Amino acid sequence: MTLKDLTSRPTSRRSFLTALAAGGAATALAGCSTSTSPGGGGGGGGQRISYFSWDNQEDSKPVLDLWNEQNPDIAVDFSNAPPVAEYIAALQTRVLSGTAADVFCIAAENKTNLIDGSAVVDLSGKPFMSGINEFNAATYGRDGKPYGMSTASWGAGIAYNRALLQQVGADGVPETWDEFLALCAELKAAGITPYIEAVTGPSLVVAGFLGAQNAAQGGAMDTAIFDGSSTFEEQWTDPLAQWVRLWDEGYATRDAVGITGDQGRDEFAQGRAAMTVMGPWDVPTLRSSAADLDFSLARIPALSGGSVFLAGAASPGYAINAKSENQELAERFLTFLASAEVVKAQNEALGSITTTADYEPTVDPALEVVAQGVRAGDIYLPQIAWTRAEDKLNETGIAQAQLLVQGSQTPQGMAAEMDRTLASA
Amino acid sequence: MSSTSVRPDVGRAVQAGSPVVPGGAPPVRRRGGPQGGWKQVAGYQAFLLPVVAVFVVLFLVPLAQTFYYSFTDFSGYSLDTEFVGLENYGRILTDPSMLAGLGFTIGFAVAQTAVITALAIPLAVALDRAFAGRSLVRSLVFFPAIPSIAVLGLVWTYILSPLGSGVLNQVIDALTGLGPFPFLSDPWMARGSVVLVAVWSQVGWHAVLYLAYLQSIPADYYEVATIDGASRPQQFRLITLPLLAPAITISTFLLMTNGLKVYDLPFTLTGGGPGYSTFTLTQSIITSGVAQGEYGRASALAVLFTLAVGAVSLSQLLWSRRIEGRIR
Repeated sequence: MTLKDLTSRPTSRRSFLTALAAGGAATALAGCSTSTSPGGGGGGGGQRISYFSWDNQEDSKPVLDLWNEQNPDIAVDFSNAPPVAEYIAALQTRVLSGTAADVFCIAAENKTNLIDGSAVVDLSGKPFMSGINEFNAATYGRDGKPYGMSTASWGAGIAYNRALLQQVGADGVPETWDEFLALCAELKAAGITPYIEAVTGPSLVVAGFLGAQNAAQGGAMDTAIFDGSSTFEEQWTDPLAQWVRLWDEGYATRDAVGITGDQGRDEFAQGRAAMTVMGPWDVPTLRSSAADLDFSLARIPALSGGSVFLAGAASPGYAINAKSENQELAERFLTFLASAEVVKAQNEALGSITTTADYEPTVDPALEVVAQGVRAGDIYLPQIAWTRAEDKLNETGIAQAQLLVQGSQTPQGMAAEMDRTLASA
Repeated sequence: MSSTSVRPDVGRAVQAGSPVVPGGAPPVRRRGGPQGGWKQVAGYQAFLLPVVAVFVVLFLVPLAQTFYYSFTDFSGYSLDTEFVGLENYGRILTDPSMLAGLGFTIGFAVAQTAVITALAIPLAVALDRAFAGRSLVRSLVFFPAIPSIAVLGLVWTYILSPLGSGVLNQVIDALTGLGPFPFLSDPWMARGSVVLVAVWSQVGWHAVLYLAYLQSIPADYYEVATIDGASRPQQFRLITLPLLAPAITISTFLLMTNGLKVYDLPFTLTGGGPGYSTFTLTQSIITSGVAQGEYGRASALAVLFTLAVGAVSLSQLLWSRRIEGRIR
């Protein structure tokens, strides 16, 4: 039977068009999300909970398999979108249209809007929050109320090539910035490129300096900037001036403004630079692409009068949809996600530096120092601490940092531009 | 030459679907008859409904919504919005990144339009001639237009890397011993690199557009011109170029509008840097509005941007039409 035969009869035509419409709708829906339980089980008793993750199905499978094992009567309708922009946009559309999942991820990029829009539940006093690290709870909280349950954090520090450092008699990264620059001078004198950093964003080294400064001020630095009692110019000028010495004194290439983070990491991996700044996400890549590379990560050296610190932030948290009709099940799901068994599964599957009280994560040996700092809460990232205009400030931070490295901006000028951006946002 | 021998009135009669009576009275239209009338016209125009529906639903309605939201503080997370008047427009006009974005966006659109047009026409003329492997060469020239420009941008970051390990720098070093050159880390070289990749990726597509028009030029014109003693450059200037005028209008219109809306290539190749040197208006709309959750502000930006692109495109179209009329 041909298409013409089908469409020539009224009943057939209707059936055909109906099928076509149904097919189109199904295709559109399938394109938005999947709605399956990756573990393959569950759902026998008819209870269902929906979960929108930014981890893909493969990464989520160990956790969902555990859920299906422990809760055979409750199926999880799993869907995901890749981080960050695509996830944020998909979640925003679903929240606005009232179709958001019972449980979804709250991230630095959407926490302000989710909390302002009353889209997430206050998790204060919930039993599953008892083992959550204070820093993580505060990251996704406001006025002392946590809105997200984050069970892991990341930290970035100075990665160093042991073999290259040993050529100048050093066995690690010094603890002070002046000593670090002296080490760079020794490496340079020995014909080794001391340092490379892709300037694709506000520097993680500067974040470390600012973190130590913020800690010394009792964690009030950004509050002071945003309430007008301090300024970026006041707080950022000296850390920026110290950071840019890497280029002004010739220890790093100014071409760093035109390379990607991956290219910077590759230079380090190939032994063309002795040190760089990196996060835990780069370690598995280095292990596979440069198996012979003997490297480790250290905390970011301290400025005069400061302390060693790390750039870093809490990983995205799990939040409960305020409009969910499954509040009880959602809380049960978060209780499950906070359990030591699940945290262990995530640590093993994703290499996450988990921060919950009842489980000590196992990490790559290169990350041991970083993991200690992360679990101690010695991490800071300005973009997370900012309470408004985060993306606009970040955009200014990237452009101005590149101009600073190129030598066409001053540290004070860059900090003043940050103030101007905040004032106009 | 036979294509010009059809009388215009006969052509219209044929178009209307009526019987042609050469030299006789004009054909009579029957209203409601099986061969004409409003029912038939309505029948034909019914085929436009899906297109009109798509245009209204996917273009006019969102445009109207965008205009409305530009006067509100819509965050994208809640429909409880407040009217803020012209506040969003005021904030845009005081944003320093906007001016930087405006400068590069216009420069990019003009540069890529000029360079691609200058290269695509001679390329199309060359591809129109008979030579061994012509089909393969045409395919190779057209190929860069097929992959996503965002993917191409990422690939070109490795080719144009300013480090000594960059692909192009290694080639230059091997051949001449010079470099490395700061293709993506020097502001002017970064701007040039973005234009270079845009030209590389689109020149083949536009050459094929010109090729289609070239192939519709009757060979008789060139034969007559050759008999009359016209040289190759004279034939190009007096026959090819005038008859390519409609193609030039279409090609430059597409290049200008797409150039003004550019986002993916500079974003993947340079991220808008160094500094603001390759920052675009669309990047500003996305960063300031969508990413920040300030849809009211993003809507105001989009409204201004739509008006600006519309004005530039209309001016360019009118100018092209005038030039087209003059050279024909």
